[in-house]
Amino acid sequence: MTRLTRPIYNALVLAALVALSFSLLVYVLYALNLLGFPYDYDQGEGFEVHDTVLFSRLQLPYRDTEVYPFYASNYPPLFHIMAAPFVWLFGPAYWYGRLLGFLASLAAAAAIAGAVYVEGGRRKSIAALSALAFLSSNFVYHIGPLFRQHIMMVAFETLAIVMLSRAFPRRERRGIAIALLLLIGAGYTKQLAAISAVAAIAWMFLRGPLRALRWTIGFALAGGAIFAALNLASDGQWWLQAIIANVNDFDRQQAFGLFILWFKLHGFLLIPACLMLVYETYCDRLSVYSLWFAATALLGGIASGTWGAGDSYFVTSVAALCILSGIFLSRILGGALKLPRRLRFLSSSPLCAASLVLIPLLYLGYARATLKLPTDGRFQGIAELLGVESNVRENFYDSATFLVGGYAQIGYFLTEDDREAGDRIVALIEATEGSVLSEEAGFTMAAGRDVVTNPTQLRNLDLAGRYNGDQLVVMIDGQEFALVILRALFYPPAVLEAIDRAYLHRETIHMNGFDYLILYPRERDES
Amino acid sequence: MSERDEGITKRQLGIGLAVIGALGFLAILSIDLLDVGRQGGIGPAQTMALLLMAALALVGISLIPLGDAPA
Repeated sequence: MTRLTRPIYNALVLAALVALSFSLLVYVLYALNLLGFPYDYDQGEGFEVHDTVLFSRLQLPYRDTEVYPFYASNYPPLFHIMAAPFVWLFGPAYWYGRLLGFLASLAAAAAIAGAVYVEGGRRKSIAALSALAFLSSNFVYHIGPLFRQHIMMVAFETLAIVMLSRAFPRRERRGIAIALLLLIGAGYTKQLAAISAVAAIAWMFLRGPLRALRWTIGFALAGGAIFAALNLASDGQWWLQAIIANVNDFDRQQAFGLFILWFKLHGFLLIPACLMLVYETYCDRLSVYSLWFAATALLGGIASGTWGAGDSYFVTSVAALCILSGIFLSRILGGALKLPRRLRFLSSSPLCAASLVLIPLLYLGYARATLKLPTDGRFQGIAELLGVESNVRENFYDSATFLVGGYAQIGYFLTEDDREAGDRIVALIEATEGSVLSEEAGFTMAAGRDVVTNPTQLRNLDLAGRYNGDQLVVMIDGQEFALVILRALFYPPAVLEAIDRAYLHRETIHMNGFDYLILYPRERDES
Repeated sequence: MSERDEGITKRQLGIGLAVIGALGFLAILSIDLLDVGRQGGIGPAQTMALLLMAALALVGISLIPLGDAPA
């Protein structure tokens, strides 16, 4: 760096740090907003709270859905086990699961910063920008502070890969063992982590086939033993509910749309990450980050097209691309790339000077590409300054828009009206006696009633030909539920038809951007 | 034995990828050849998988000239 370029570089890096720190501020405020909201924000959160409650009672959520309360979970247990002690202290609630998710996203960001710092030649600014870039991703932003297990899986995966990258080449047995245990932890947080496990094993095989084989056998035995224990303890329901019911339809357009969106949002760092992958493939040794990035981008992206999946399936690849691009850009700055003779002109002085300007500009461009913020209240002036207007809600701007199928339509801040609407639904339940059939579990838990059914699980089992549903239909036809609360109509057709026969829609309550339909038992002469 | 000695070389990786890509390509293509009762020819998912396997094979072939450099 010359005396002329250093101040320009420093000023641009500072600007990028400010821009991405603003994104972090929005993320923190969003997390705080969600922590105070006692009902479902993202569809299905309440069922994860219920899974946690079951684990806190030392019960498994992998159950027979043909008998009351017709409930089963399709998620592995680790995240809910981690949250279970909070149930003993605070009872069923959303805030601690959301807090765990938020902290997991920070842990993943810290691991990204550490990896870029160590592998990229100890450049603090690029390490910090890489971590902030991860947290700024629209995909990370909206799922981070939810009571959902996905971001915890990403944190386990990131920690595992970063640890393995260091431990395997140095033959640090303890480090390798911990990294593989973290990968098992990721897999028993969410099944999607299998992709990261494949990438890690493939990379170990490249670096040392015999050692990789030994470690993989141990890894498979440990993972398989947990699998068998869960299946045995649940009388086979683990296999049915968590594996069979997780095979869903594939929507090619959804996957394609999400791939395009992924590129639009992260392109500024995706291109350097891809260049690093090509560089390592042809000019250096392949790092675990390159294989991890390629596998999670490709396979995770394809998996994002399945029913019930979405943009969150790209989050692991976002972690990988933040690390890989950070290392690549750090090495350019440090002149540490080993280029073949015919490409050495790329290290000429004018091009190096240009890279000093270009690199912080990439992070600035990325900050703009991933911009999202409320457009009212305290943010109104900033939104006007940035020249953005609300585009997905009346008071929220999201550069991703809500146009692509599978992109979770959340991220906006909740208001007191949403809380009051939730309280109203709970009051309606409390005014009745007996069980209530609700598509979201938060209301019935708040009213102290049983959580009855998990609609998406019943739907998936039905599509897999593994659901009968006679007993539930008989109960609905017999009007044994005091109320029915619907939102997305995810129940299997036979259940929805029974609801239509026996219950009448009398009220709609708008909460959190969605309409909750309140149905009461029909009078016998009502049609 | 040093770390470098025990690792896979670029040539070995290249051959491996080329073989996997070529076999994968043929296997995907053979879905249509073997399943004679199947309607509709090669679908979009199959096309995507064929392209992926072809790309894998090409990357593999391009790595073979890099010889004993560690992968």
